[in-house]
Amino acid sequence: MMKSRSVGSGLLLLLVGGVIGYGVGLGLDFVVTGVLNFSGSVAGLFALLASVTAFFFGVYGYRGITRGLVWQVLGTILGGLFVTAIRFLMGLRGTELFGTFFFSEPAWVFGALVGAVSFLFGVGVMDDWVKWARGIDTPEHHEDKPGWEKYLGVSLDHKVIGVQYTITALVLISVGGLFALIFRTELAASQLQFLTTTFKLFNQTGPQIYNALMSLHGMIMIVSILLGISGIINYVVPLLLGAHDMAFPRMNAFAFWVAVPASVLLLMSLILGGFETGWTGYPPLSSRGPVGVQMFFLGVFVAGWSSILGALNVIATVMRMRAKGMTAMRLPILAWASVATSIIALTATQLIGLSFQLVMFQRLFGMGFFDPTKGGNPVLFQHLFWFYSHPAVYVFVLPGLGVISELLPVFVRKPLFGYRWVAMSSLGIALVGFIVWAHHMFTSGMNEYLRVPFMYSTLLVAVPTGVKFFSWVATIWGGKISTPTPMLFVLGAIIVFLMGGLSGPPNATVSVDLHLHDTYFIVGHFHDTIFGGFVFPFFAALYYWFPKATGRRMNEFWGKVHFWLMTPSFLILTFGMMRIGLLGMRRRIADYDPALGFDTTHLILTICGFAIALSVLIFLINFFHSMKHGEKAEGNLWASRSPEWQVPSPMAAHNYEVPFEVVGEPYDYGLPGSKYIEFAPAQGKKH
Amino acid sequence: MTHTEDKKSMLSQGIYIFVYLALLTGLEFFVAVTFKSVVLLVVVALVKAALVVYYYMHVYKLNVDGEGDHDSYEYKSGTNRLGLWLFLISDSFVFGGLMVMRINLLGLTHPNLNQLLGLGVTSVLLVSSFFMNRGETMIKNGDRQGFLNNTLITFVLGFLFLIGVVFVEWRIAAHEGLVASFGDPAKGPVGGVFYMMTGMHAFHVLTGLIFLAIVWLNGRKGLYDQKSYPVEAAAVYWHFVDVVWIFFYPALYLIGTVIV
Repeated sequence: MMKSRSVGSGLLLLLVGGVIGYGVGLGLDFVVTGVLNFSGSVAGLFALLASVTAFFFGVYGYRGITRGLVWQVLGTILGGLFVTAIRFLMGLRGTELFGTFFFSEPAWVFGALVGAVSFLFGVGVMDDWVKWARGIDTPEHHEDKPGWEKYLGVSLDHKVIGVQYTITALVLISVGGLFALIFRTELAASQLQFLTTTFKLFNQTGPQIYNALMSLHGMIMIVSILLGISGIINYVVPLLLGAHDMAFPRMNAFAFWVAVPASVLLLMSLILGGFETGWTGYPPLSSRGPVGVQMFFLGVFVAGWSSILGALNVIATVMRMRAKGMTAMRLPILAWASVATSIIALTATQLIGLSFQLVMFQRLFGMGFFDPTKGGNPVLFQHLFWFYSHPAVYVFVLPGLGVISELLPVFVRKPLFGYRWVAMSSLGIALVGFIVWAHHMFTSGMNEYLRVPFMYSTLLVAVPTGVKFFSWVATIWGGKISTPTPMLFVLGAIIVFLMGGLSGPPNATVSVDLHLHDTYFIVGHFHDTIFGGFVFPFFAALYYWFPKATGRRMNEFWGKVHFWLMTPSFLILTFGMMRIGLLGMRRRIADYDPALGFDTTHLILTICGFAIALSVLIFLINFFHSMKHGEKAEGNLWASRSPEWQVPSPMAAHNYEVPFEVVGEPYDYGLPGSKYIEFAPAQGKKH
Repeated sequence: MTHTEDKKSMLSQGIYIFVYLALLTGLEFFVAVTFKSVVLLVVVALVKAALVVYYYMHVYKLNVDGEGDHDSYEYKSGTNRLGLWLFLISDSFVFGGLMVMRINLLGLTHPNLNQLLGLGVTSVLLVSSFFMNRGETMIKNGDRQGFLNNTLITFVLGFLFLIGVVFVEWRIAAHEGLVASFGDPAKGPVGGVFYMMTGMHAFHVLTGLIFLAIVWLNGRKGLYDQKSYPVEAAAVYWHFVDVVWIFFYPALYLIGTVIV
């Protein structure tokens, strides 16, 4: 046992664990198959799991996340062995008993599920619930020790959980971005350069790896977005409301920690044969394919629970934990947006879980849901899938749009224009979002009479979104604009989201969509909406609330470099995508015909992709460096009216020492004598 | 009808509601074997569900004042109640999705199942809901022994339901050729739909049984004599599982013609 825990010893153990895990995996694979497969899946999987676990052991010791990961690995192996034993008793032998990837598919699925549950028990997030079930009471609040160590174990403080969410989201964004860089490099020129058919990794050829990376880029980014919005909401919304925590702190911790084994499962899918379906996982392709498809489905299913329970918590918090006098029409816009987004996440997420579960069961038990030879209906999958996956994009963007409305008045020193309309437009987008899903299926072969109603409902989304744009423009109009980094990202978000919004109606229109479907035009469109609706506001929120969390501010110069490097590169990237999309470039493919003449554009797109990656790298360095070495900023740095800025940074453990009462409108910037909140006299102290 | 808080009348209200539910279930079965009106079956199921949601799950308790001492047990129970209902709303989307799948894949046909057994397990679950309601009312009235007895009866009945579905119904079905992988283009994926719907419901029954066991064991220690919200939560969840079956039972056993 090492005495001093540090990143250095973590990295050392990462190497050692990786080598040992690789050796163990190689050996196990050899026992079953009789071949030494040096780039095989089993060796790769054990190397990944052992190295990550060893890293956290070196940094943190055997507790918290390390214990969770160890339990997950053991749970996976024990669950797999359990099913293998049953199959042995059923009389299966040889390749029937063990699959291509050591375990057979049912063994992997059951093992992975047991592993995910084991993680939750191992990390300790179930401790209090187990005690309650046994009739033992626990203290309502657990005190965290000061310092960074609380972030790697279970904490019930919403601010700690918010940071945990945010950091995990940043890690996943980096992983997903890295995947994008790999396949973007392959796309830089026509023909296959390095992901060739002779390339072998994890039992896959180059093009298969391309497909798996492309699919995982989508899903890992989606999970990272869900974690990112949860991070912002978790950290900020209770502070905006004047609550001392979320409504259900233990479930809050659970919702975060369940996302960690889910992320591990998603990474396992790449190694266990990958999945070539794209993030949508349509059968019949997904009902064949290797075990990786199952790991992908299971990972999304588990991550879905994070989203559902987080959303439940947000709604309960906003409805029950508000400060005195904070009526519905004095609620901060970000809280409104969080509720709107949570309504979708709470309900619709079940449908993606169900649709993926059905394919899993189809594969495991031969059930015929989506198999036409058994009377199943593949289009049904698409309906169930898109019933979540379209509203999901509003889950991604609504909190971001809320951040824009929240921050804009601060930096233009003017009231938010049309508060009520903006508050209601979030709900409007959420509700309309439930009736537009089939616009993804105009070419799917569904009943043709469904096309036109879904076209009109889709175009209807432009109305509440337009309300938001109108409000932003009218808020900026005639304001005293200052442009520190958060404001730059807010403005960038508005412009980029406008580009995404304007490229939307062409896709919604049936006649045009029949041509645009599955082209790079769509890819350009949704990258614009997601960057405008999530990525830019997310960065704005991080720059804006960073001082609240740390008591220091991020470097302005490097923040501006980040913005001015990312924005033009990103706009060129998506406009380029739309251009070649209009000219017929299919999405999701590893290669394209040189005769199409897209080589130059693709090269530019790849360069822009790397420029974005560089800007995010600058951000990450700035982010982690400023935590310790940033300029001190403990006061009301942005001259905000919001309650969290009226107390010194960083926040105290239970937020406000003195409760406050809402006495005015939240966004009346620049109006003399107007007040939003009033702190109660000191004797009104609670806790 | 208004809900009443009087101790005696709460118990007798439970009995009235149970009688209504039993009569409606009988009517449902009668409709299914005689003139097979789908509309009527849907109406009956909706009425049954509404009765359970209002009188057994007392959904009206959600409508409480948002003001008050945020640290009091009442206020926290109100928050927990809201959280539980949000979860149930979320969960009902799973069952709604399964229902959509069933309608899409099987239409106005249903698998060939043992009708007597179906009616039997349905009755068992319905009776268990009645006893759950009694148990919950009794702990609120301060009658610990009555609560324990009724919860135990609920548990036993729930367990019988689970046995009836998983170990009897599934066996009979599989024996008659309705295995999970059964399905053909003319009939639809009957096996998949049947096992997925009953299996998902049975999984929820199982979790409900675990909650009941926890509540019963802790109730014996007197944990809920003053603070009885956990009993209410277990009861509401149990009734929710019953509501799901109120829709799944006609969907799997009664609606439309038999697939042969």
